Amino acid sequence: MTVAHPVTGAVGSSSRPRRRLQAPGLPWILPALVLGGGLIYYCIGYTGFLSTLNWDGASPDPQSVGLRNYTNLANDRLFWSALLHTALFFVVTFVLQTTIGVIFAVIMHSRIKLAVVYKVIIFVPVVLAPAIMAPVFRQIFAADGQFNWVLDHLGLGFLAQPWIGQESTALPVIMSITIWQWTGLTFVLYYAAMSQIDQSLIEAARIDGAGNIRTLVSIIWPELRGTTIALGILSAIGALKTFDIPWLVTVGGPNNSTQFLGTYIYQMTIQLAHVGYGAALSIVLLVIALVMAILLQVAARERAPRD
Amino acid sequence: MRFKFTAKVAMRSIAALTIAGLAGLGLSACSSSSQGTAGSATSGTINWWGWTPTNSDEAKQFIAEFNKEYPKIKVNFKLIGISDYQAAMRPALASNGGPDVYDLQPGPYVQQFGSYAEDLTAVTAKALGSDWKSKIAAVAVDGLTSKGKLTALPIGSSYAGSLWYNTELFSQYNLKAPTTLDEWKQVCDTFKKNGVGCFAQGVSQEGFDQDTLQSITNSVEPGYWTKASKGDAKWDSPQIVEALGIWKKLFDDGIMQEGALGAQQYPDINNAFLTGKYAMVMMGSWYTQYATEAAMTQSIGAAGVAGAMPFAILPIHFPDVAGKGNKSEMFGDADYGLAVASKSKHRAAAETFVRWMATSAKGQQVVADRLDTTPVLAGVVPDFSSIKFVDSALQTDPVNAYLKGTSTISEPRFALLNADLENAFLAAAQSVGSGSATPQQAAATLQQAADAAKAANG
Repeated sequence: MTVAHPVTGAVGSSSRPRRRLQAPGLPWILPALVLGGGLIYYCIGYTGFLSTLNWDGASPDPQSVGLRNYTNLANDRLFWSALLHTALFFVVTFVLQTTIGVIFAVIMHSRIKLAVVYKVIIFVPVVLAPAIMAPVFRQIFAADGQFNWVLDHLGLGFLAQPWIGQESTALPVIMSITIWQWTGLTFVLYYAAMSQIDQSLIEAARIDGAGNIRTLVSIIWPELRGTTIALGILSAIGALKTFDIPWLVTVGGPNNSTQFLGTYIYQMTIQLAHVGYGAALSIVLLVIALVMAILLQVAARERAPRD
Repeated sequence: MRFKFTAKVAMRSIAALTIAGLAGLGLSACSSSSQGTAGSATSGTINWWGWTPTNSDEAKQFIAEFNKEYPKIKVNFKLIGISDYQAAMRPALASNGGPDVYDLQPGPYVQQFGSYAEDLTAVTAKALGSDWKSKIAAVAVDGLTSKGKLTALPIGSSYAGSLWYNTELFSQYNLKAPTTLDEWKQVCDTFKKNGVGCFAQGVSQEGFDQDTLQSITNSVEPGYWTKASKGDAKWDSPQIVEALGIWKKLFDDGIMQEGALGAQQYPDINNAFLTGKYAMVMMGSWYTQYATEAAMTQSIGAAGVAGAMPFAILPIHFPDVAGKGNKSEMFGDADYGLAVASKSKHRAAAETFVRWMATSAKGQQVVADRLDTTPVLAGVVPDFSSIKFVDSALQTDPVNAYLKGTSTISEPRFALLNADLENAFLAAAQSVGSGSATPQQAAATLQQAADAAKAANG
């Protein structure tokens, strides 16, 4: 790679040479730059513009309302409820996926028989499309569905519920489906990360008398920190983008108990034709995602061990 | 080869490309608003998009009959699920690649997509004469008219406010169709004791909640719902509070099935009823088609039952749940209408198809004989001699009387409502049903939604 003309003159001096871009590289990145800048950032900017309108998405005369959509949003009970569901969803799914993923990875590293078969079984849900699985879960968790049938046949019929038909259990059902679907990915990443741990560390711990739990907590878990942070960022962004499972399984209900930001944006924009308000919600979602990603990155750097 | 790109040149290039791109977008946006040529009225290919007829065989039959008269017009029907319809139609109609003909329904669909349709008043007048309004059911035309523009020609009307029941299950347990809330509860108690589902409704879909709530309100005070829909009465009134209280009783008395809040009318409840899991369902005149052996057999098969055995179903009036002696009148408007996209390059052929479907005796007869929707053209009735019921002796007279009774219905179903108010019905129905809101609180939210919609529309 060639640096064509490094800056040599003093700042502000009249003799400062003209700064040039790297000539050989620019033509090659230009299409991507135009596409990325023109498409993605133009769309974000246009969404920002839409968020200042009162518009149904079809009429030729949208009405400019300034920041009113944002002020309305602050007083929108459903918006705050969707945010709360998102936060709760992130915490529960991340903690459980991490716990189950680590446990599976540890078990698979212990050289059990048929490990490959187990790995495939655990990972298969990751590649299944939510649109295919949603009707299956609607059937399983229906009042007369298979989950209640199993409970009944285990002598636990008193626990049978209309799982997706009541506010108290609909969100946990959505969480459990998500955990079922994504734990395979968590497991694979932890499994790979564990393969990189220096065996001498574990052997040293064993010599010092550490048992399985102690080795897992004090040796293995700290070594998985980088993977955990990466999964945390992915889970946080995934939680903010959650749409398909709650929409396809519960349509955000009952009584908005599984409403997320994604489903609420869709409902406002498409079903109720409040395009301006939906755009304001989208901008807020974007800001939250950016802030969360930055915070997690900063936290990760601050805690990183200094060599 | 090396490119000598300075920052200035690069920035100019990017700016030029961006401007060119934006200009292109702008030009395409401008061009998209221009109308294409009308094309030939007797030949061409037209694309029809709709959420109904849900049975694609029905659409194929319509097109096949149409092609007997107009063989050079090819019609492609694309079925889009009703839950995806708004998402699919908005970008399609805004672009140049949308349909030539599309379904519209009174209420929110007309409000949202009517602006993309051409006014069909002249087309209708040309087909039926200047007194065309006297030849098409007024209740169907009114809901498809927006600001004086006939956005779509009604193909059929649909009426709600009735229940359908499985006659075999009722006779098996020696039960009679309920006419009051107490009788309804007793019927459900009997079914429950015998391990049979009684009544089922998909409470997670607002349109059907609205049907039941309107029926209950008509039992409390006939016509009040329509008055409130017009803005002539309040939604937080004692009448609506009482109606919501009765709605809650349907849950508390075990009439509404367990898990109703999470169920969808289509496909959940429709499949459950057609497979004999429940004895009663809240459906309207569109359910008449399942009185026939062919449609019933096909639908049971589609619901996943092998070797389907059709059973006879019958309609009944919604019970007098308020106990005031009021007959809960049915209500309805156009089931769907066909709109011609103003951007279509084959508008003339599209008009030919829509005109044939809605205003020709042959087209309307095909519609009538499917029993899916009630024909709107005066004088056209189903040919019962050619329709094979599951049990003709049991069904012919009641079904015929049921359809005749719809001819006097004047209360609208969707025409006076908007999407926000419908969404408020869903929230009210679910929150009252789950017990998270009282009928008074839910009624107040309905009034708030109506006030907000009124303020937004000036």
